[in-house]
Amino acid sequence: MLLPESMSRIVIVGTKSRLDDAIEALYSEKSIHVIDHTTGDDKLSIGAPRPNTSKASERLLKVRGMEKELGVVKHTKTPRVSVEDTRSQINAGNVEDVESQVLKAVDERNDLNQKITELNSRKNTLELLQKLPITMDLYSGYKSLAVLVGTVSTDPTTALQAVDGCECFVSMEKKTGVAAVFVRMSARATALTALTGCGFTEVHVPEETKKVLPAEAIAEIDEEIGHYQQQLDAANLSLEALRSKYAAFLKGTDEELSIEVEKGSVPLRIAVSEYSYIIDAWVPTDKVDRTKADLEQKLGNDVYVEFEETRSRKMMDEEAAEPRFRTPPSKQNNGRITKEFEYATSLVSLPKYQEIDPTILIMIFLPLFFGYMVGDCGYAIPFIIIGAYGLKIAHNKDWRSIATVLFFGGIWAFIFGFFFYGEALGMHFIGMEDGVFSLSHVANGGTSVTWDWILGVTFPSWFSGLLPVVDGGAGIGKLEDISFLLKLAVYIGIVHLMIGHCCGLVNHIIQRGKKDAFFAKGGAIITFIGMVMLCWALTKLLGVTKIGSDLTMPVLYLSIIVLFVGVIINSKTEGFMAIMDLPGIIGNILSYTRLAAIAMSKAGMALAFNYIIFGMIIPRVMVGGIYVADWSNIAMLALAIVMFAFLHLVVWTLAILSGGLHALRLQYVELMTKFYEGNGTEFAPLKENRIKTFFSEKAKVNTKEV
Amino acid sequence: MTADVGTGLIALGAGLAVGLAGLGTGMAEKDVGAAAVGAITENPKMFGKAMVFMVLPETIVIFGLVIAIMAIFVM
Repeated sequence: MLLPESMSRIVIVGTKSRLDDAIEALYSEKSIHVIDHTTGDDKLSIGAPRPNTSKASERLLKVRGMEKELGVVKHTKTPRVSVEDTRSQINAGNVEDVESQVLKAVDERNDLNQKITELNSRKNTLELLQKLPITMDLYSGYKSLAVLVGTVSTDPTTALQAVDGCECFVSMEKKTGVAAVFVRMSARATALTALTGCGFTEVHVPEETKKVLPAEAIAEIDEEIGHYQQQLDAANLSLEALRSKYAAFLKGTDEELSIEVEKGSVPLRIAVSEYSYIIDAWVPTDKVDRTKADLEQKLGNDVYVEFEETRSRKMMDEEAAEPRFRTPPSKQNNGRITKEFEYATSLVSLPKYQEIDPTILIMIFLPLFFGYMVGDCGYAIPFIIIGAYGLKIAHNKDWRSIATVLFFGGIWAFIFGFFFYGEALGMHFIGMEDGVFSLSHVANGGTSVTWDWILGVTFPSWFSGLLPVVDGGAGIGKLEDISFLLKLAVYIGIVHLMIGHCCGLVNHIIQRGKKDAFFAKGGAIITFIGMVMLCWALTKLLGVTKIGSDLTMPVLYLSIIVLFVGVIINSKTEGFMAIMDLPGIIGNILSYTRLAAIAMSKAGMALAFNYIIFGMIIPRVMVGGIYVADWSNIAMLALAIVMFAFLHLVVWTLAILSGGLHALRLQYVELMTKFYEGNGTEFAPLKENRIKTFFSEKAKVNTKEV
Repeated sequence: MTADVGTGLIALGAGLAVGLAGLGTGMAEKDVGAAAVGAITENPKMFGKAMVFMVLPETIVIFGLVIAIMAIFVM
């Protein structure tokens, strides 16, 4: 179906004492989109989280913290674990046990890291002091003597001469140096002032009682650092061991606790009174009966489910509804293959409940346009292979959608390449005797290279009969029959745009009724038809298309009338802008000429590259009055193969970018702006999102029995 | 290879049509592109809408290309 699934609104009322069972039952349905309760004057309040939720969220925080410490990330691959195991482990307090182990190991690692950092900073100081001829014990242990040690930018010896009873040791290197000044305690301030003038920055000297030189102390520290480093490596190893031991547990617990917390927070979205709860929800219309029966079976007399309404697609109904029931959620209603293209639609926006989902149109036209632009068997095969492989292995939405376009686009590219253009790797299969790209043309030293010329064979006539012919030559030449391709692109555009306009009309009929739709969208369609007719007649008259026709003048007059009518209808809704829109129609149609233009640009590049390879690198020799390729030179042949692969890879890569992007643009800009509004609300039913955990068979039986 | 002045003028015209149209497109896309990248950085969901705006001016260069092709192949 083209429209999102039909939605119905239900109300679920039950006794509060069985709220936990009710939440479990709601989750098992996977089709209940809860409408958030807003407090009003109905004497109902929003519920409070379930009692066990705060414990679960506390544990979840612990698990997330551990995951961060151990480097367990979203993409870390771990085996799946069973839900029952995970639950029993959580209840047995394993989260706390693991946390204590992890914290112990992390603390140990952090302590060691800190020790090593401290030692390194001490080592840095000692390396400075190494330049002075003083043993370490002399820096401390004085009562009446102040010791000032630090870095200086100029030599302080002269400045310190004025200070009484002062001894100074300095070692200068270019612009920085180190100074140790021993001065009487009473003269400390004077010495410090003098030193400050020399750019003095004090350095803390570690206390040392032994008579050792700094170099010896450094050796000692190095030994100590080595010792700690070993311990650190061991600590890291034990953390790594913890990571591999508990990664699966952590991921499983994370998922299980997230689900538990989410379930526990459901009361925050619903209304409660003293003894009961009330849930408003959207359910797909075809699942209402099943949902009702299931809930009543699971909860017995403790629940009452009432069907409220099935929302129509009329905007009137939406506008008349109470604000929180106004917008039903959109659940896209697509088949397996079309589903893969939903991502392309979602890049713009989710469809509204009342409008056509453009995904199916994208599914048809996106690969078709891509194939039309690429149109080459040689490039198509890698596209198909990569697309199929991507679809097999990729789970990420982005990659899946790219793989889908490549796969289906590749198939279209192959069909167009084989049956329409008749070419592979930018070379036509057949060079006919007449026409622009003939065999004799190549043989006479022309630029286009063909497969039959390279292979030196003549393809059977049934094969050339498969290919369409325009102005000579088998197959459509992207460069030779460009005016035909341009015209075809314009016709494709007219059809594509017409589909867009029709969808717009249908949307409006669905939402507002026929009369409204005629005035809102009918004008646009009539104007469009009129403009197409006018352009057709004008091209005949101006001689752009050479074959004249008796129909030209009648069509011209008719088109003007049709245009006039269209503009009048349009002006009722759009006013003066109706006339301003007219050039836009031509713009929209001409925009489709990019289909031909991009096909041509690919062919142009491929032609140049092929000429480089077959016309320049592989020598052509004259045999019997015509040129043939000379394969005898092995070195040149090897170079040609490498160049061939590389240059065609360039064309191929550009084909993805320009072909894919322009095909997508034609959907987004030209097609979807004609009818698509979007901004739908996503259908988000209550359901458990399990990736890392699973219910074992025993548990499955149990849940059915509940 | 010899060609008369008329052919040369057609070639020149075709080149100017594509070149100037491309220049125009480039100038328009410069501003749109900068704004689009900004919008996507703030909200990746804007990608679809941003791309629509980003490629709008591209039509101009297509017009240029059509004129060029018509000049060379049709005239």
